[in-house]
Formats: sequence, structure tokens, C-alpha cells
Amino acid sequence: MSEAAVAETAQTDIQNPDPRIIAFCCNWCSYTGADLAGTSRLQYPPNARIVRVMCSGMVHPNLVIDALTKGADGVLICGCHPGDCHYIDGNCKAEKRAEAIRLMLEDFGLEQERFRLEWVSASEGPRFAQVMTEMTEAVKRLPPSPYKVG
Amino acid sequence: MATKVAEEWLNICGGCEVSILDIGEPLLDLLPALEFVHMPVLMDHKYHGQTGEGDSHKVEIPAADVGIISGGIRNEKEKLVAQEMRAKCKILISLGSCACFGGIPAMANMWTLDELYEKVYRDSKSTEKSPNPNKDLPPLTDRVYALDEVVKVDVHIPGCPPSPDMIKEALLCLLNGKPFVLPEKSVCDECPTKREKKAAGGQISRPLQGLAFKQNAAWEETRCFMEQGQLCLGPVTKSGCAGQTTEQGEVKVPRCIKGYMPCRGCFGPVKKGSNPLVDMMGALSSIGLNPQQVADRRAMLNRYVGGHGLLKPLPAKPAPIKK
Repeated sequence: MSEAAVAETAQTDIQNPDPRIIAFCCNWCSYTGADLAGTSRLQYPPNARIVRVMCSGMVHPNLVIDALTKGADGVLICGCHPGDCHYIDGNCKAEKRAEAIRLMLEDFGLEQERFRLEWVSASEGPRFAQVMTEMTEAVKRLPPSPYKVG
Repeated sequence: MATKVAEEWLNICGGCEVSILDIGEPLLDLLPALEFVHMPVLMDHKYHGQTGEGDSHKVEIPAADVGIISGGIRNEKEKLVAQEMRAKCKILISLGSCACFGGIPAMANMWTLDELYEKVYRDSKSTEKSPNPNKDLPPLTDRVYALDEVVKVDVHIPGCPPSPDMIKEALLCLLNGKPFVLPEKSVCDECPTKREKKAAGGQISRPLQGLAFKQNAAWEETRCFMEQGQLCLGPVTKSGCAGQTTEQGEVKVPRCIKGYMPCRGCFGPVKKGSNPLVDMMGALSSIGLNPQQVADRRAMLNRYVGGHGLLKPLPAKPAPIKK
């Protein structure tokens, strides 16, 4: 396949060119990581709306499902790496809850790709940009959220 | 002058009416203050005049001070009856979980009307295939509605069935002109069992399987049912079934817990608008149980609250784009 053809197929794969993604970032690692990505002038898609939370462990499944059923195309939770949590085990709680969230995606008829839990530390600006890019690309390939209003 | 009461049953099994009778002796004290003007479960009262002389397109119910409706709304006739009750009653009470949240019948809201007809009249193995019935029957509404989605409701008495004490209490409150409101607390807030904030084992078991308790032992010695791996809906269910008042020295115990059964969630969500499925999955994973083991999650954790849009058919998957 020629390069142009590859680019074209990639283009037709996109079902939702401008997805809305909510990213919950923990104050101590991921939000600082996002800051670093910004101050390092790294490029990543602008589709995510970042919500700063004190710990990924405080992101109750409620918040995620609420966002998704009110029209968000994807939700990303970013926390500290396991063992690095400012509150000792908040991110472990987040991981357990993530399992419940993945199960509930089925119950609400949503694709698994719409939710992601990632560990990003304060020094990982490039990683933050990469996670954002990957997530946005994955969500772009899905149809717009069935719960989207307007 | 006696307070006039009208009672109606809509999409319901009749258990709430039995519960009214179950008030027992205190009902005898209440009766002189009450006058039942309309109650299909007790009296033969017709909607279009007693001999059918009235307008057959209009439902007529005598005026009353207090209207009690049990059951949600499944068909157009029930909608008309509910609207007529609202028009004729000064205060409207929704009695039971079906009227308050849609109840058990609202589990049908997980499917569209067409899917339901298909299953019931053609798809089911034990049924002779036949067309949808449409003669002399009121058409079904698109889904099961809770009463307050159709008409304004003044007082909610949840429960499946509501406890007789609670009906009595609500009626007494109304007669004395006091408001009857349940506090926004969960069943766990009132439950006296011993909690250690983490599950004893990792497995979720079925009711009646492996629940450890000693009958008549002090409640503080009985371990929380959910921590024992029972699917107890206490954390996401409104309290109140234990009763408002207790006699001296008596411990307040939620009704199902008192019978050594996990809470089934019949009092509905703790706060209006919260989603018991999501909250419960969060609660299960926080105490270290595996939420994957919950069988039939959507129906199980929304058992009584399918109205108010909490149970919906899953959004249709759009067809993949042709390449």
C-alpha cells in the first residue's frame, strides 16, 4: 500500500473527529506530569478536559459513569505509579474500582476503549503526552458516544 | 368529619393493599377518622357509572381528601386513572416501591416494547405463536413509569411491601397535618451488625448460602452480611424499614436483616437521582469483593428502581463504517 493510501485508510477509520475526553489527574503525580508536558512544549491533542483531583483513589465509579452517560466520549484516570501514592494506597483503590468500572461499561452499552486507567508520575511529561495521544486516537476510532446530547 | 380516602391499584401485585390490612388493630382506631370512598380491592366501584351509563372514554373517581395509589404505570388506562386520582384528591400518596420507583415490573424497561412483545407472544418456548393482542385492551405505555413521572405526588411510602407501621405512621402524620419524610440515610446507617470495613472472604455467595449468624445473639456479634460476601443492598438503599420509633431497650434493625436476609433494596436510592448500580459496584470493590461475581448486575442492583430512567434498553451499536 502506498503512503497516501495508508493515510486515507487511517482517515476513514475515524468516526468521531472531535471527541470529548474527561481526564481525572491526581494532584501529586499526573497533574504535575501534565504541567511538565505543558512547560516542555510537548504536542498532544487538545481533546481532553483535565479535572484535578487530590488522588486517583477519590474518583468514585459514579463520576466516571456520570461523565460517560452525560455525553463524554471517553474518560481517563491518571494516578501515581503503584507504591508512589501520596496517600499510600489510593491508587490501589483506583485500580480495584477500575475493574468495577470496566464491568459497568458493558451494563451501559459502552465500549471498553472509552475508559482507561494510567499511571503517570510527576517527571513523566512525555509519557503524559503519549497517553493523551493514544487515548484520543483510540476514542476517535469509536462512534460518538450514544449518550451524546445535541 | 371523616377524612375521605380513595385508593387505587395500578401495575401491581396487590401486596401493598394486604399491607394496609396488615396494620391490624391500630387500623380499627384509625377507621372512625377515615371514610373510604373508592377502593377497587374492597369495593365494586365502576369508572363509567355503576351500570355503565357514563361516558366510556372518561374515568370517574369520587373526590377525596387523600388518594393512595399503589403500582407504577404500564398502560394508558393506568395513566388515565392516575391523572383522574390526581385531579380528585387533595393529597396523593404513592404506596410501595412500584409506585415510587417502578418496582419489579420496571425491570422490563431493559428492553423495548417490541422486544417484550416478541419474547412473550412468539419467542418463548412454551407459548403458541400469536400476534400481539390489540382488541379491547388499553395499549401499553412505551416503558414502565413510576407514579411521580406522570402526576405530582405529595407523599412517598416505599417498600415491597411497605411496612404496616409505616403506612400507619404516614396516615397519622397526614391526619395531624405533619409532613412525612424519610431521612436521607442508608440502611447501613441504621444496621447494628458488626462492620470491619473489609470483606471476610473474596467470594460473593447467593442468599441463604453460607451466612454465619447465631439466632437471637446480640446484633453487635453478627458480622455485616455484605462483608460475609452476601449481596446486601444496604449501602445504596434508603433507611426507614426499621421503623421510626423503638420501644425502650429495643435495637433498631432493618426488616430483612432482622430475618437474617440481606437487604434487597426495596426502599430505593438513598438520594433522589443516584444510581444504585454504580454506587453498589463502587462499594463492592472498595471492601475487596469481586464485582464480577454479581450475577445479572443490571437487574440485580436496580431491582426495584427501574423507573425514572434508571433501567433503559442499551443504546444500539451503530453499524461499522463500510470500508
